[in-house]
Amino acid sequence: MSDSAESPTETQKEEPQPPADDSAANDEKKKIDVLLKAVGDTPIMKTKKWAVDRGRTVQSLAQFISRFLKLDGNEQLFIYVNQSFAPSPDQEVGVLFDCFGSDGKLVLHYCKSQAWG
Amino acid sequence: MADDKDVLRDVWFGRIPACFTLNQDEVTEREAEPYYLLLPRVSYLTLVTDKVKKHFLKVMRAEDVEEMWFEYEGTPLKWHYPIGVLFDLHASNNVLPWSITVHFKNFPDHDLLHCPSNSVIEAHFMSSIKEADALKHKSQVVNDMQKKDHKQLWMGLQNGETHTPPILKERRPQTCNNDHHVTRMGKCAFVFM
Repeated sequence: MSDSAESPTETQKEEPQPPADDSAANDEKKKIDVLLKAVGDTPIMKTKKWAVDRGRTVQSLAQFISRFLKLDGNEQLFIYVNQSFAPSPDQEVGVLFDCFGSDGKLVLHYCKSQAWG
Repeated sequence: MADDKDVLRDVWFGRIPACFTLNQDEVTEREAEPYYLLLPRVSYLTLVTDKVKKHFLKVMRAEDVEEMWFEYEGTPLKWHYPIGVLFDLHASNNVLPWSITVHFKNFPDHDLLHCPSNSVIEAHFMSSIKEADALKHKSQVVNDMQKKDHKQLWMGLQNGETHTPPILKERRPQTCNNDHHVTRMGKCAFVFM
């Protein structure tokens, strides 16, 4: 299942965010904040906080992390929510954020091997 | 409040009559008869259709057979959704048996996940249980279980056993208020009523 090659954007930490107007708050296309945490000896992302489109799938995000970390094509990447389950690859991050986000962000752990299988 | 033991039992033992027909574009050595099967609601297509595959392979050459996938009225069926959910989503208003088309070529990578083995189904099933548990019971139920109990859940599903629902039932606490989210994640929460 392939998505567009567009990468998530880094959240701007220095500048204050522009105030979101009411229409943007209801806009399904808005981005959600994702915090990526490495597990075990998996390389750590230099940038951990990302603003990701709600409609982006878990698989697409995993592919992005693999490319960013320059992993081999045959190396798998496992993504976990709540340090307990691996969401379905076709699940949208927006839905995961709605159900499992806290403090305005979705924390995802990533690992080259099965961590909480 | 009514005891929902009956609802749990009806869903667990629910069966859907299905008729599997080979896609007419598949290359066969002779005509393929449709195959009829009662599908358990609480299971996955790729787990219960070995007989379907064997049936159609009898009339096909090995070189014409790739990964099997299913489609209903033009829509590829996602094997990682429980069968009952697939039926309710796509065909519940239509006559029975549920007419499913079987394909062995042109796997739709954009719509379906691959399913290379039963261990993939097991991993997905366990993740779905944990996800539903995280959503509804803050992961209490699954974390209270031992590894062997997790394995027993999977074996129960694989074998279509009849005593598994009570194991889940006695660990089932109060209802969840997040109905909206439970509906959206319904495909995961099917076991936790």
